[in-house]
Amino acid sequence: MTITGTYLLQLTLNGITLGLLYALIAVGLSLIFGVMEIINFAHGEFLMLGAFAMAFALPVIGLLYWPALAVSIVAIALFGLVVYELLLSRLRPDEFERSILVTLGLSIIVMHLVQYFFTANPRLVDTQFGFEGVEIGAIRITWTRVIAAAVAAAAFAGLYVVLRHTQFGRAMRAIAQNREAALMIGIRPRTVARNAVVLAAGLCGLAGAAIAPIQLVTPYMGQFLIFKAFALVIIGGLGNIPGAVAAAVGLGLIESWIGGFFTVAWQEAAVFIIMIGVLFVRPDGLFKRGSMRVG
Amino acid sequence: MSRMKLVLALLAALAFAALPLLTSSNYILGVGLSALIFTVAAAALNLIYGFTGLLSFAQLGFWGIGGYASALTVMTFGGNFWWGVVWAALINAVVAIVVGYPTLRTNRHAFVIVTLTFALLVTLIARDWVELTRGPMGIANLPAPSAFGHRFASTGDFYWIAWAFSVVMLAFLYALCSSRIGRTLVAIKQNEPLVRAQGISPMPYKLAAFAISAAITGAAGGVFVFHLGIVDPLILDFYYMQTFLIIVIIGGAGSFWGVVVSGVALSALPEVLRFSADFRMVIYGVILVLAMFVMPSGVAGWLRERRLTRTREALQ
Amino acid sequence: MSAILEVSGLRKAYAGVHALDGVSFAVEAGSVTGLIGPNGSGKSTAIDCISGFQKLDGGTVALAGHDVTGRPAHLIARAGLMRTFQTVRVYERLSLLDNLAIANQQFDPATWIDEFLRTKRYREAIEASEQRARELVELIGLKRYYEAEAGILSYGQKKLVALASALMPSPKIVVLDEPVAGVNPSRIREIEVALQQLNQAGETFLIVEHNVEFITNLCHHVIVLDQGCKLAEGSAAEIHTDPRVLEAYLGMTPEMAAAEMRGAA
Repeated sequence: MTITGTYLLQLTLNGITLGLLYALIAVGLSLIFGVMEIINFAHGEFLMLGAFAMAFALPVIGLLYWPALAVSIVAIALFGLVVYELLLSRLRPDEFERSILVTLGLSIIVMHLVQYFFTANPRLVDTQFGFEGVEIGAIRITWTRVIAAAVAAAAFAGLYVVLRHTQFGRAMRAIAQNREAALMIGIRPRTVARNAVVLAAGLCGLAGAAIAPIQLVTPYMGQFLIFKAFALVIIGGLGNIPGAVAAAVGLGLIESWIGGFFTVAWQEAAVFIIMIGVLFVRPDGLFKRGSMRVG
Repeated sequence: MSRMKLVLALLAALAFAALPLLTSSNYILGVGLSALIFTVAAAALNLIYGFTGLLSFAQLGFWGIGGYASALTVMTFGGNFWWGVVWAALINAVVAIVVGYPTLRTNRHAFVIVTLTFALLVTLIARDWVELTRGPMGIANLPAPSAFGHRFASTGDFYWIAWAFSVVMLAFLYALCSSRIGRTLVAIKQNEPLVRAQGISPMPYKLAAFAISAAITGAAGGVFVFHLGIVDPLILDFYYMQTFLIIVIIGGAGSFWGVVVSGVALSALPEVLRFSADFRMVIYGVILVLAMFVMPSGVAGWLRERRLTRTREALQ
Repeated sequence: MSAILEVSGLRKAYAGVHALDGVSFAVEAGSVTGLIGPNGSGKSTAIDCISGFQKLDGGTVALAGHDVTGRPAHLIARAGLMRTFQTVRVYERLSLLDNLAIANQQFDPATWIDEFLRTKRYREAIEASEQRARELVELIGLKRYYEAEAGILSYGQKKLVALASALMPSPKIVVLDEPVAGVNPSRIREIEVALQQLNQAGETFLIVEHNVEFITNLCHHVIVLDQGCKLAEGSAAEIHTDPRVLEAYLGMTPEMAAAEMRGAA
């Protein structure tokens, strides 16, 4: 196979898109961990629901991308709110194993309900853009991919602004950095936790909706991605947002390059092997555990 | 163990042994032997999670490796079933030590995730290392075990193998859990810094618990695949891990008998809930979530709380 | 009398703050030595470093003449230094008997093989351990709770259990980290008496405390830390009137302190 510059560029662009989408998932996980000290096993299901929401909304709105995207994000954010109020709000920060099992249970319930009602058949999601794309030199990228990357990047920019410059965001960082101090100055943990979950759910919903036109939608699509997201969060350091983003984009690129030259099998195993390697060399992850520093 | 409990346990064991004499339904015998094998795997999970306090998802990986180990011993390396089970245990013990040593030194959060990832990696290997595992097709037509000229061909025959296996494994686990080693594991779970301040290094204990639970889970997997007659990547379906977890949680993590009773009782449950597979999983999920809020220490824990309240009142 | 514990030049810093900046002192065998100082003086850090729960940046620790610097906590315990914790640590869900038995486990000669085979060595070890446990439980006055779960005890009672646990293996020295903090006054007197009895029987104690009266009643020798350095050392009476100590603790000069005392009388 000739390794041309354009091939590598194509792989790189794909890698960045993939990385940004992974980052959306990982950041949500990291956010929830930073604020609540729990790991949300149902995170992948938020993504899957986002994809399904997109799959159902599009035909109803005449395949218009943007409205469907908006609807999906709102729907999943609302779902996150419900999950928080019903389940997550009852968990205390020191109950790590219990939180895993609760969210695991939730993940089982959601995934199998979806599979029960909508079958496991993979769905192809069509948008107003169809398969049209843009040509940059010898490379062809579909609009759906371009938009996915752009939307993800925009989401990060927005997240940065929110975390750094709004009360909403600062409160989250305060709780993540030093819970007691934050409580003492009157930050209400329930409000912040709820906001974090809703925000994380929204990000996942966004990621799912953006992925839906790019690959097949199945009820179990969230399951595998979530394990990669865990790996990313660990590599980046639990609770460390920039770390998670860096790790995610890195992973996207590595996966894309490996996938371009080796079989799919190793592509999938790669991230886990790297994660384990990192954990053994630096038990606290590559970057320090979350102060949720944004800058 | 008190005389009364010993007698009860023996009676229960004998009752279980008698099942093939009471019914010739392959279906019931199949449920019964699955119950026994799953109970062993759950008891092993209880050792590392209930007693030592480490939530290990790696059990699924050990179960799968055990299944492949015993199948390969027979099909590729010309051994017999019994050696297959022994290899299933030994290989997993070694893997557990190799994986466990670095993993146990990381923090609690990372431990859970690394064990989860380990299970995933095993699944990927099972699916993709086709030269060894024959990939998604799996290794089929596993022959019935034989010993002393007798072929354990029927489900009833195999039931007795499963019965003997579970009695031996559970007896071993009971001895371990009620020994000073078991007590030290519980101490480590409850207050690790205190354990260190008392001159005990927690690491060898955690590693031993991890390796022993891996070996037993692997052996259980090795036995189970011969009941199925085939081993393929589906042996690593998360469904098994969820089942083991639910047995431990409902029975009561850290209670030996709670988990054993729960294992036997819950394995019969899928047969009661014979809706579609998906709906059954939904129910598992609901049970898991509810248990976490209503009875986080399982049935055994709830009983213990009641006894404790009475003791507390008596002493006040 | 020789020193059971000798520390020299202890140094520990976190993020630029010198928690310990060259602390040296010795604890004589058979004494009750107090380690006091205002908040942030480095007392807890010193204890953690000496007992192996934190790593020293510099300095040495010698136990009965042997260098134990840098050893992990469990090995220092095995070498004969037992400690208690500021926030009391007991095995909440185990019985009192079990709590004490585990404290002695590492120090008895029986191995798991002995246990499995129920050898004579195992049975004798268990009996000896139980004997000692009963004696200690009697001493701390918790006989009726012997089989009860440690979790049902009050805070003060748990502190007694922690003390008894530390004494189970008859260690060379017992380091107590704030043994009476958060304990109600009647119980404090009980603990004082118990410690005096144990000391008379030959046990050596190093006690970190804030409660000045407690220290004064018990300790032969007192070491005062302030901001990571040793400020003063001497008998309890000497420390009471040492101007440097008064200033560090109370921000007063001797005249002001005397006036305070007169005012309170």
